[in-house]
Order: sequence, then C-alpha cells, then structure tokens
Amino acid sequence: MVNVPDFTSLSKEQAAANLARRNPSFYNRYAGKDDEFGFKLETFAMWEPVFRFLYEEYFKVTFHGLDNIPDEGRALIVGNHSGLLPLDGAMVAMAGVNHCASPRRIRFLATDWFFGIPGLREWCMETGQVRATLDNAEKLLAQEEIVGVYPEGIRGVGKTFRERYRMHDWHPGFVKLAIATQTPIIPIATVGGDEIFPNFHNGKTLAQLLGMPFFPMTLTFPWLPFPMPFMPLPVRWIFRIHKPMDLGYPPERASDRKLVSRISKEIQYMVQKDLNELLRERKSAFSGWED
Amino acid sequence: MKPFAVTYRDYIEKVGKVNDSNFSLETIARVERPLAFLYQDWFKVDLQGLQRLPNEGPVLIVGNAGGIMPWAGVMLMYALMSDKQHPRKLHILADLDWIEDERLYNFLREIGFVPWNADNAKRLFAEGQTVMMFPEGSAGAMKPFAERYRVRSFDWTNLLPAVEMKIPIVPLATLGPDESFPMGANIEPLAKLLSLPAFPLTATFPWLPFPMNIFALPIQWKMRALKSCDYEVGESRDEIEESAKRQALFLEGEIQAELNRMLRARLRKVR
Repeated sequence: MVNVPDFTSLSKEQAAANLARRNPSFYNRYAGKDDEFGFKLETFAMWEPVFRFLYEEYFKVTFHGLDNIPDEGRALIVGNHSGLLPLDGAMVAMAGVNHCASPRRIRFLATDWFFGIPGLREWCMETGQVRATLDNAEKLLAQEEIVGVYPEGIRGVGKTFRERYRMHDWHPGFVKLAIATQTPIIPIATVGGDEIFPNFHNGKTLAQLLGMPFFPMTLTFPWLPFPMPFMPLPVRWIFRIHKPMDLGYPPERASDRKLVSRISKEIQYMVQKDLNELLRERKSAFSGWED
Repeated sequence: MKPFAVTYRDYIEKVGKVNDSNFSLETIARVERPLAFLYQDWFKVDLQGLQRLPNEGPVLIVGNAGGIMPWAGVMLMYALMSDKQHPRKLHILADLDWIEDERLYNFLREIGFVPWNADNAKRLFAEGQTVMMFPEGSAGAMKPFAERYRVRSFDWTNLLPAVEMKIPIVPLATLGPDESFPMGANIEPLAKLLSLPAFPLTATFPWLPFPMNIFALPIQWKMRALKSCDYEVGESRDEIEESAKRQALFLEGEIQAELNRMLRARLRKVR
C-alpha cells in the first residue's frame, strides 16, 4: 500500500517546518535568503511532498550517476524534454533536493507561456523556475546555481506518442552559454517522461486560437473533467546522468558558431544514444528495468 | 548484355579498368533488371544527397542496417551504378564468413560484396574506391519491429581503417528496410545450431517456400546521404583510436537524428 502524503491541510508555515525537520541541510542552505527570481521556500515546501510522492511512490524514479551533480558551484544540466507537463524537470529537481549528498536547488529555465498565465506565473516563480532568457541564465550561473535547460524547447514536450524518445534537434544556445560563462555541462537522459501522457494528436488550430504552444489530445485530456486529465500513467522512470563536461574552450570561442553547433550535436547524440540503449534494455514501461 | 552495354556505357568504361578477379560485369548485367524493378517500382527509393559524395578518390559510406539483409547497400549500389553524371561501383564490406554455399558466396562477390576485414578495407581505400559499411554489425540488421529505426551503437573499431587513412566518411540514413522486412524475433539457439549469424522470424520466413519467404512489403524508402564530417587525426595510435570513437558516436547520432526527422515528416504527411 502506498502512503499518500497529506498535503491538503497544511499551512505554509507548517509545511516549511516539516521540510526543515525532514531535510535540514536543504532548508538551512536556502532559508531566509532573498531571491531576485522570486523563489519562496514556504511555497516550495508546500508542494515538495506532492512531487516527492510522484518521485518515490508513483514513478519510482531511478537515477544513475547522481553523484555527478556537484556539491558546490555552478553547472548546466541539459537533457531530452518530454511529457506534455514538464514533470521531467520536477523529477530532476526532486533528486537534487532529496537524493544528492549535498542537497541542491536546481532551477529550470521555463518557456514564456507559463509566465503569461496569472496564477501559474507566481507558482512557477515561487517554486524556483525562471523565465528563459540569456540574461537570467547568466545571472543564475554567476550566483553559482545549477541551471537546467531543455534545448529541445517546447517542441520536445509536445512530441506525439509515436515520436516518443526521438529527439528534435537541439538549439545550440546552451553551449554558447556554457563556453561564455565557463560552466561545466551535465547531460541527462530521461526515459519514462514520454509515456506518462500519451499524446495522439497536436491540434494546431485550437492551439493558435487559445494561444497555447500546442493543444494535445490524449486519452483523457480534453474529454474528462478537471483533475482527471492531469493524472499521469504510472510509468517507471530512469535517469542517466553523465559526468560534468568541462568544455575547455576560452570564453572568446563562444561566438564560434561552427564549434558551438558541433558540440551541441555531440551532446545531443550522446543523449539519444542513451535513450536508445535504455529503451532496449527495458522490459516494459510499467515494470521498468527489473523483472 | 547488349542493352545493358548501351545504357551503362560510362559505368562499364570506369569499372572495366579496375582489375578485380572477383567482380563480374555479366552478373551485374543479369541482376540489373530485378534491381531496377526493386529500386524504381517496388521500394520507390527516394535517394537524395548523392552530390555530397566526392567525385574522385576514396570515400566510405556508413549506413544504418535493418531488414535482415544489407538491402540498403544493394539499393545504393544500383543507384550509384545508374547515376548519370558519375556512375561508379560500390563495394559493400560485410561479414560473409557464415555463407557455406559456394554459389551464393561467389554471386555476392561478383556483384560487389567484399568480406569485412581491415586489410580489404585499406586496399579498397588505397585504390580510391567507394566503399559502404554497416558499423552496427549483424545486431543492427536483426532489430525487432518494435525497435525499428533505433540505431544500435556503432562499433568504432570498424571505422579504424578509414580514420587511419583520413578517408572522408559520409553517413547515409535509410528509412524503409526496418518496415519492409518486419521481424518478430530472432531465435538464437536455432541460429547456433544451423551456424547462421541469426535466425529471424518474419511474417513469411521460415513458413513459406523459398522465393516467397524473402518477400518484402512495398514500403516507400527514403535514403539521405548527409554531409561528410571532417575530422582531425593525430599520428599516434591513441589519437587515432580517440578520433575513431568520436567519429563513431557522431556518425551514429547524425543518422539517428536524420531518421527522426524523416519519420516525423512522414507522420505529418499521413495526417
């Protein structure tokens, strides 16, 4: 029997106290500090149990190479994007909070669309997401934070089920950023995310009408009443984290487009290779890699 | 032989100069009609990017294997042979050791297959030939249908002769064979018993009698030759191996990315 945490009746203060008790090193590291991008530890503490439940009980996430996330200093996490609702980022963030030797806050660069919706905008900011601009990324890295980027962009999230685990070409901007700021890159391959919300069709007209990046049609999405479409399938997830890659080029080379696109491709191909390998070894989506 | 000699005059002129006792123009002339039928009418191969091959000098083409036999190589062979501007002969490096039947072995040698080993590869490059290879090996050709168009990892040791001699390497992505010959499973114990590299189960093999069991579904093939990637090679052995590893990863990724793009384009078109 899974123990579903009680996260409905808590106040923000209680939630923060719970987080401080359960994970003191994370709490002490980030408590009482002002954040220019609007991170609020209380809001984070309130939502953390929800995602911890998804991580530990529901998706039963496995991480390979979690010790490759550094204890201190900046890093740029890049990987394949998936899953309509970008839960893959949330899972990586959960691993950073609960499962690293030295708990880290991993901040993802999120697309503008989230920041255009009144309620969602505040929620994203308070849980640690940052609007994706080059400026913001440089500021975050200057503050020695870990920044997560999905170079596939919003196209990657909207992959249909038949395209699962087939990546779109990456935008090479992240390599440029890494070289300019001398940041190591940590590639991550994610298997599981593309199957939690099987998407059969991307409606273009409706999406344009509603100003959404895409309008997915899943087994549940536009058909069932509110909370049900947001129930993901209990797929097993696996993450493979590579060693931090120091690119070793001086900052001047950041404007060398040929070099940047070559490195970006190499990292993209590395992640795609991991995806192919992990998929081949998998027994089934719901039982994962064990028998 | 007569119409063949007329249509393929340039090709014959070019190939005739090469001194290769295993190769036979008569055999090529004999299989030309069936090949043309397969290429033009059955698979309706849409091949783009041939202009990316250098017109002179040696070149290595690496492709994704699929569909049990190296059909992609045979189709490319026909395409290169009937190319109007630069007709040429394609040598396909493949593992032929498992073939016991003398006639089949000779037939494959006569149409341009060459047994895979580093010496043969180096000899062909030194002669300035166009060579094709499937670095996935037989594991790649025996992909079950569920894994279609997911490239297996390239064996970098296969690329060593080319990298050592700094031969340009052109990746070729082929969409089609994995669905033309849908394979259910590979019965390994039976393959071992019969000393075959694999024993595939398809919709027709081994159930139907001979010519019918190699039946291929008329899938439309798409083949794309991609940009050859330039690479630097050092002098020492370590540097060469390092470069070959990097190349293997990059070529594999290029082909997989192109397959993803082609599949996506096809999904869009169907709707």
